[in-house]
Amino acid sequence: MKKLVALVLVFALVCGFAFANAATEAVADTVEAKIAKGQTLSDAELLALAKEESGDFYAYGNSSRVANAMKGFIAKYGEELGLNENNAVGTKMNDAEIYSTITQEATGSSAKVASVVMIQDGAQLVMYRSASDMFLNYVPGAVAGVLDKGDVLPLVHQYINKLFIWNVLGDNVPVITNVWQLTEPGLKDRIFFKNPTTEQVNNNFLIMCTSDEWAKKLADAYKSYYGKDIQLGSYKNAGYKWVAEFLANVNFSVSSDTTICNTVASAESAGNMGLFVLSKTRDLDATLKANLQVGAFTEAQIDPFSGFMYPLYVQMTKAANRPYTAMLFINYLMTSEGFKPWGGAGTNILGAYSTNPAIGAAEGDQAIDFWKECLVAEDAAYIMQNRTVVSDFINAEIAKK
Amino acid sequence: MAELALQARPKRKMIYVLRDFITKPENIILLLTVVILGFFTVYPVVLLVSNTLKVNIADLFYPELFGKKVGSFTTFHWKRMLFSDMSSTYFWVPLKNAVIMSLLASIIAILFGGVVAFLITRTDLKFKKFFSTVFIFPYIMPSWTIATFWINFFQNPKIGNFQSGMLYYITGITVPESFVYGLVPCAIVLGLHYAPFAYILIGGILRNMDANLEEAATILKATRAKIIRKITLPIVLPALMSTFLLVFSSSMSAYAVPQFLGGTGGFRVLTTTLKQFITNGWYGQGYIMAIFMIIFGLAILGVNQRVTGKRKNFTTVTGKSGQISYIKLGVWKWIAAVILIVMCSFCSFMPLVSFALESCTMIPGDYSTLTLKFWIDPGYPLQNGLHGLFHETQVWSAFRNSIVLSLSCSLIAGTVGILIGYAVSKRRGSRLAKAADNLAFLPYLMPSMAMGAAFLAIGAAMGLSKTMALLVLVGAIKYLPFASRSGINAMLQLSGEIEEAALIVNVPWWKRMLKIIFPIQKSTFISGYLLPFTSCMRELSLFTLLSSGSIYLMTTLLEYWQIWCSQSANALNLLIVVTVLVINLLVNKLTGASIDKGVGG
Repeated sequence: MKKLVALVLVFALVCGFAFANAATEAVADTVEAKIAKGQTLSDAELLALAKEESGDFYAYGNSSRVANAMKGFIAKYGEELGLNENNAVGTKMNDAEIYSTITQEATGSSAKVASVVMIQDGAQLVMYRSASDMFLNYVPGAVAGVLDKGDVLPLVHQYINKLFIWNVLGDNVPVITNVWQLTEPGLKDRIFFKNPTTEQVNNNFLIMCTSDEWAKKLADAYKSYYGKDIQLGSYKNAGYKWVAEFLANVNFSVSSDTTICNTVASAESAGNMGLFVLSKTRDLDATLKANLQVGAFTEAQIDPFSGFMYPLYVQMTKAANRPYTAMLFINYLMTSEGFKPWGGAGTNILGAYSTNPAIGAAEGDQAIDFWKECLVAEDAAYIMQNRTVVSDFINAEIAKK
Repeated sequence: MAELALQARPKRKMIYVLRDFITKPENIILLLTVVILGFFTVYPVVLLVSNTLKVNIADLFYPELFGKKVGSFTTFHWKRMLFSDMSSTYFWVPLKNAVIMSLLASIIAILFGGVVAFLITRTDLKFKKFFSTVFIFPYIMPSWTIATFWINFFQNPKIGNFQSGMLYYITGITVPESFVYGLVPCAIVLGLHYAPFAYILIGGILRNMDANLEEAATILKATRAKIIRKITLPIVLPALMSTFLLVFSSSMSAYAVPQFLGGTGGFRVLTTTLKQFITNGWYGQGYIMAIFMIIFGLAILGVNQRVTGKRKNFTTVTGKSGQISYIKLGVWKWIAAVILIVMCSFCSFMPLVSFALESCTMIPGDYSTLTLKFWIDPGYPLQNGLHGLFHETQVWSAFRNSIVLSLSCSLIAGTVGILIGYAVSKRRGSRLAKAADNLAFLPYLMPSMAMGAAFLAIGAAMGLSKTMALLVLVGAIKYLPFASRSGINAMLQLSGEIEEAALIVNVPWWKRMLKIIFPIQKSTFISGYLLPFTSCMRELSLFTLLSSGSIYLMTTLLEYWQIWCSQSANALNLLIVVTVLVINLLVNKLTGASIDKGVGG
């Protein structure tokens, strides 16, 4: 009898240990647990763990640069990880496609899952992070201590700017020193700008213009330009008025920043200008580049802003099938080598600014601190509170065109 | 004992009835058809409606929905779309635009197609064979073909992106922006696209009309105008009304043309607004638009059924002489022929020439900068990440996806169509057969975009989102009407005696189908396979919501490339159009079937 009781107790103990171990393993097996562990590991330690992983490795991003970054990652680690250009792919998608794809992959019914996403629109990302657990934040240990506090959660990979840039050919060069010039009849249809209904960061910029801070600056700029106080009429503040009048003047006929850049730079575009991503100028030949003038690089600058700036976030996904590989990839992206497809010190690609302070700006460009002074930056909290109201206002103004 | 035996009789009778029912393959086919098609036509609509009453993640930005849980109940979307101060911008104005665009398109299609039909069937116009072949090209080509050509042709340095178009390059003539983007060009392009459809319907009636009707009026000294007004028009009126309703319904659900030609500002219709909502994650509001599109589509086609069903019976085909006497146009037969040649060339050949030229210009619209880089360069002609077309893996990946999708849809739709045709003809007149027949035709009545939205909801519910399986499912169901009509028509032509000998010697059903029925009607059955294939290859509206960002088809890849590289987009456009024309030609040569001879739309 005693032996039986002892046997039962031992059996129960063994079962208990096995169960606890399985539960612990289950917890340890989650992506969240791996992230918590990975944040303390070096690249070599992450590499060792990533070698044990299998399956394809996918990353989605808003730009084709994610594919170039993936190539660099494969060149560095591919042989050890068993990755090549067939099973490690960086895919370009817009934000809406990324969110809908990740939502579907999170159900577990997709054969293909992304482990890393690079995504714009902080307000939507914050909303998704609070309403779901599809996106997980990982901060590389090597940079955790040097990043700005605001760039850590969610992790910001880089800042990108969109600037007022004009064609310098011909007799009708639109030299802009004050943003209220952009609302004048002489510039109607001569300002190329991607439609905010299809480009969320453009929408976010217009939303930010309606904030108290920028509305005041716009009111001051109005007075500085016209010499009198702004008359708001039915507009809530100077920001709304500027947005409405700017939208009435812009030309939405070109739907990509690359094409806007090529269009504004062409010899046929004398007298035209655009508000587009500065980094698109990287692909222009010298002749076309010489046709462009960046407003922010003029001596006078533009009152009160020369364009706007937005963050590009990098997140892991809850459905990630190769979490350690993903962490190694993010570590790589935060180095100067991994940042090269976008620019940085040692390149001549303007317009992208790593949040890692060790990676400086490209030759001929200004550092991130310069841009923070002269550009409208996104405030995710303000955008979340006001997105629908201001978007309705923007859509109504566009409908009048 | 006797009482027990009596009680057992109804049960045993039931068993015999059931056994008799399930041993006949036509009954099983009909039952499965009703259940499966019923599910896939009713369930998506139910899901659509239920999703309009739920909170999605993107909705949490609305102040009215702050703090709500995702998936919780709300009537917010309905109030916002129909009764809020934004309902005009998001719903009523797009609806008004769609109605006006469709009205104008229908009028243009009937005028152009009807006049051409009359000239070909009732006059001594020259080059009739040429016009009969070439006039239907715009209908066979995807709907955005003329839209893209319209921009390529009329674009000029005073509008849009200030690039030159063909007309400006050759003549220096500029047209206003409202003629290139917006309501007018959308209506004209849709009208030109559906004019061949009007030509086929109206021409069919005119061709079969007995000339004695008009001859009698001529003998009684009626003027030509009076004959047309009092005899010809009343006879073709039902066809005119039917054409008007079908073109109107198709134009209301058109997506590609207003997407390409709607311009950059305010011209939006239901379909483009629906796409914008779904793309931005506002599923509730997007699905409300889809529901209204389905209601409009069903209502318009219901009216069409009433009109064609209740019309006065004008017997035009009789046993008497059917010799047609043509109206002599005199010198006008040459003038009309030249005008028609110009117009047919504009709508049929010029688009292909334009795509070829624009795909070879380094600077869009400047034909002095011709290059083959966008076709054959293994590098990046424009440094925008796109290789020359023949080296661009996206293109061949999309081509493969389109072929796989089209083959899969055609195999499923064609096979199911044959089975439905067999079963409906065997049980003709029964309620089950009528239900199966109607359900098999129902997807034709649903606008493609709305059907895409409905299956987006199904995909999310069944975990099939962004998969090829979902695309195959929606494509097979959408094109089933083509195949089931072919199947039913084929089977109704066959007499029951054909199977009797095989039935007597107990040949299994599947062997009878394969060895007897299919070989006899293979031409019609094969068209039931090939018509879905051709339609699938050129389809955009149905798949644009479902494949976004995941599986690129030729058509969705074109929609994507149109945004950021016009030269590559024109090259891809040419490849798609040539592929569709070649496939349609092959289908026509092999089986006599053609998209224009289908159910239309």
